[in-house]
Amino acid sequence: MISRFLLAVMLAFLMVISGISTYVFLGTRQSKAVVPPQKPTAASPRAQALTLPGTLYLTQSGAVYSLSAGRFHQLTPEAGWTQPSLYPDGSLLAVRQTPLYSDVYVLNRFGTPLRPLTNNAAPPRNNDTGANHWSFYPRVTADGATLWMTYDGLKCSGCYDVSLAVWSMPFGGTIRQAKAWTDGGYYTGGDVQPIPLAGGGVIYTKYDYASNIDYRLPSKLVGMLWYTNRANSAGRRLTDPGDDCRSPSLSPDGTQIAMVCTYEKQVSYLTIASWNGATLGPLRTIVSDQLVAQPTWAPDGSGIAYLAPAVGAGQFQLWWLPKGAYTAPLPSPSPTPTPGGPHNGPLPTPSPPPPPPPVKRIQVTTNNGFDATSPMAWRL
Amino acid sequence: MLVLLAIVMSAMSGALAYFMPAAQAALEATGQVIHVTPSPSQLFTPTPSTAPSAAPVAGAFTVLLLGSDDDSKFLGDHVLTQSMILVRVVPSTKEVTMLSIPRDLYVHLSTGGYGKIDGAYSYGGPGAAVATVEQSFGVHVDDYIWIGLLGLVKLIDAIGGIDVVTSNPVFDDYYPADILSSWPYDYERVAVLAGPQHLDGLRAMQYVRSRHGDLQSDLGRSQRQQQVLIAIRQKAKTLSPEDVPAISTALGGEVKTSIGLPKIAQLLPVAASFDNPDQIRQLILATPYTHGCGCPETYITPNWNLILPLVHQYFP
Repeated sequence: MISRFLLAVMLAFLMVISGISTYVFLGTRQSKAVVPPQKPTAASPRAQALTLPGTLYLTQSGAVYSLSAGRFHQLTPEAGWTQPSLYPDGSLLAVRQTPLYSDVYVLNRFGTPLRPLTNNAAPPRNNDTGANHWSFYPRVTADGATLWMTYDGLKCSGCYDVSLAVWSMPFGGTIRQAKAWTDGGYYTGGDVQPIPLAGGGVIYTKYDYASNIDYRLPSKLVGMLWYTNRANSAGRRLTDPGDDCRSPSLSPDGTQIAMVCTYEKQVSYLTIASWNGATLGPLRTIVSDQLVAQPTWAPDGSGIAYLAPAVGAGQFQLWWLPKGAYTAPLPSPSPTPTPGGPHNGPLPTPSPPPPPPPVKRIQVTTNNGFDATSPMAWRL
Repeated sequence: MLVLLAIVMSAMSGALAYFMPAAQAALEATGQVIHVTPSPSQLFTPTPSTAPSAAPVAGAFTVLLLGSDDDSKFLGDHVLTQSMILVRVVPSTKEVTMLSIPRDLYVHLSTGGYGKIDGAYSYGGPGAAVATVEQSFGVHVDDYIWIGLLGLVKLIDAIGGIDVVTSNPVFDDYYPADILSSWPYDYERVAVLAGPQHLDGLRAMQYVRSRHGDLQSDLGRSQRQQQVLIAIRQKAKTLSPEDVPAISTALGGEVKTSIGLPKIAQLLPVAASFDNPDQIRQLILATPYTHGCGCPETYITPNWNLILPLVHQYFP
């Protein structure tokens, strides 16, 4: 009897273990798509991160991180910090976004805020949400004298439109000294992501209805790169509405522009084109099987970093595209017959040289979730 | 042998316990009966289309997607449908057509009288919304799926967010702060930057719901809603069956549909076979299909002479 009782207890125990194990096992089979991203400082980047030169600044969950020598460092707390950019003296600029407004700050190289450059909160006792302002995409000219940004200062009181336009202001000045370079389209869309050029002009992304560019095109919102060298002038369009390009990044030598183009679909191709200071060359698609965001040139010209999900869909990871992946190899010279030489006569058919091994992109991180709307900054 | 059977049965009990929340939620949300509200008068009869209709395709079906703001401003089920999208699926050719119906479209409501089409649900529930769409557009709707605002947020969060190439910066200074808020008539500011990005539920809802900063207002919003629907579909492909309980628990009460569980089981393999977003045809009733009346009520007037041939072409 005792042995039967023991057997029954053991069987019951096995049944409980079996049921719980099945339940737990099914729980572990949940897809990784719903797993929240890890903090960059908690998850070591792959060894390939060591190949990245200098220090790369990028953001996740409202905090600015730096990546240098293969290690991430958290520079700011998770408090709405985004869109880092470089200041010539080695410090940083970054945007701090709150639910109602955003301001541009100067941060030291360790991420400590030194001072705000804008003051976009509504005046005290003004409860109108529209009395607040947004500043995004700060950039400083090489001489450190002028701050460029996207700012929604061109709106009328009580109106619904929020016109994002490209503005410039003296670095350290006030918004009263700021000047709108573009009109922001006066409603949907806007002019964003200014890239100041050494020659004094600025490249930016304009979002507008394609039909505003050409009345024969459908009234669909698209992104285009534009260039202007004069305030209050939209300037000149660099890409076609149908290319739907945005997020320009100028190469260190100033001769190429990387961007993403979507061709009005839910795709995002890494595209580069030559740039001579006034006109853009033909667009060349470099990566077409990923959702590419924020392409950024390495400061030594050794490649392009960008953000993209790891597989199909998911959080955005850091990727690195070495220069060899987008520079076409030079054609090998064919032998020329030399009079009296060994090839004085019909040339033998040269056997084609073996193709160089393709240079592949490198996934630097695997389980982070970087802010794909925040441009990255990079210094040597 | 009995011991083995007992262990297998206990393992099955564990699996049953795991999937129980999903089954319970599915039973509650699915198989809702459509009480079609007949029109009290026959005054309005849509002009029959003269365009040749495509031949009926075996297995094809049409679903009306309804999205509502169901916050505390509304009593019970008397909500407006901020989003109405007709979806026709042809499994044999793997074609999907989505037609966004402007919420402010001025139509004859199945419950009687004229008004904005978004009010049909408020007056007579999903049956009235379905009947109004059927009589106005001359289509047959097989089923409906309704989701509340919070349901959309929870759904997207439960699947781990979605990847979307937002077509333009979506900025709104007077966005309704009516969910997760104690005062549903408050406003907040919204800034969704442009470009490829990973959206959580709240951000995705801001993207599809904001219209004040859009020159095309509801029409621009309709395009964004279709983008997000496709993104949800894409993301769903990466999920596994083991994710279903967590998703259904998150959605509790925020989704209901007339589609029964057996039909859903039939549709899942069909949905999985659609792997090319380019096969999804997206239709928006912009000008000249509709035009604003210029009156303070912000009605949108339909041009049935253009709309009906279009609808009959893609929703035969």
